[in-house]
Amino acid sequence: MKTVVTIPSRGLKLFFICLFILTSLCAVPSLSVAATVEKEQVVYSFTSSQDEERFNALIHEVRCVVCQSQSIADSNAPLANDLRAKIYAMVVDKKSDDVIKAYLVKRYGEFILLRPRVYSVTLALWLFPFACLLVFYFLLRRFYK
Amino acid sequence: MHKITSLRVVLSFVVLFSLLGVFCYELFYAKPTELPSALIGEELPAFSLPSLSGSTLRSDDLRGQVSLLNVWASWCAACSIEAPVLMSIHHDYHVPIYGIAYKDTVGDAKHWLAQYGNPFTSIGLDASGDVGIDLGVYGTPETFIVNPQGKIVYRHVGVVTQQVWLEVLLPIVRRYQSGAVT
Repeated sequence: MKTVVTIPSRGLKLFFICLFILTSLCAVPSLSVAATVEKEQVVYSFTSSQDEERFNALIHEVRCVVCQSQSIADSNAPLANDLRAKIYAMVVDKKSDDVIKAYLVKRYGEFILLRPRVYSVTLALWLFPFACLLVFYFLLRRFYK
Repeated sequence: MHKITSLRVVLSFVVLFSLLGVFCYELFYAKPTELPSALIGEELPAFSLPSLSGSTLRSDDLRGQVSLLNVWASWCAACSIEAPVLMSIHHDYHVPIYGIAYKDTVGDAKHWLAQYGNPFTSIGLDASGDVGIDLGVYGTPETFIVNPQGKIVYRHVGVVTQQVWLEVLLPIVRRYQSGAVT
């Protein structure tokens, strides 16, 4: 007597693979759609274009912590205005980008940077999508063999 | 053969449900607005603010005892909710509370104190919100516990309710007061 166990069946397997893709997709942070904000923001003037570029790059990389999915460049929240003023002061003061980011992270946590830096704590975050792809690749290969 | 296959079935279900569990947790129970403070264990950022009484409130004033640093504002509705709790902390537990009036004016702050009571040892006026940024504050009210060495040991975001005081803040204050931890 020979019982052949054929679970999971082909259909079930396909179902699981689909579920796996879906769940992995859920784990990828949704891309925030940059909302166009009516800008009544303070216009900052710079003496050097380099500073101006740095300032504009920085405010697009810093999260508005009270609105969560916006950068402080896109937000008119009072705290975002204050943070822009603070960053402006530090840029004009010729503080380097790294120093400015370190200042913000120390006070508001890694969360304030929209693009987290790569280091021991955030390594898992950065490697997770690639690990998922790898697992997925092997699953597919086995499935189609 | 039979055993291995069923083991794999069970294992895949375990993986699946643990994943679903994690997602459900993140979806329903995670608190995305609760940000950890990176300042815990760090020295209180140095500040020097004009106080409401006409003198100065300096970060060094908080040294020498376990104290609370409460960031509030007269325009902050939630702050009036926690006012009675702060009064009780001041009167019943005798823990010094230092206040920072965040983006406030002298007139408004004094008016608020007349209405809700003044539990503060001293209040510094942070009109520009600069000290707020230095403290990593992103809303009022926020309350820090500062140890006798002037280091931040805890940060509570939001209203200090009677329950938060008794169950979270008071045990920490007592531990530092008794010298069990420094």
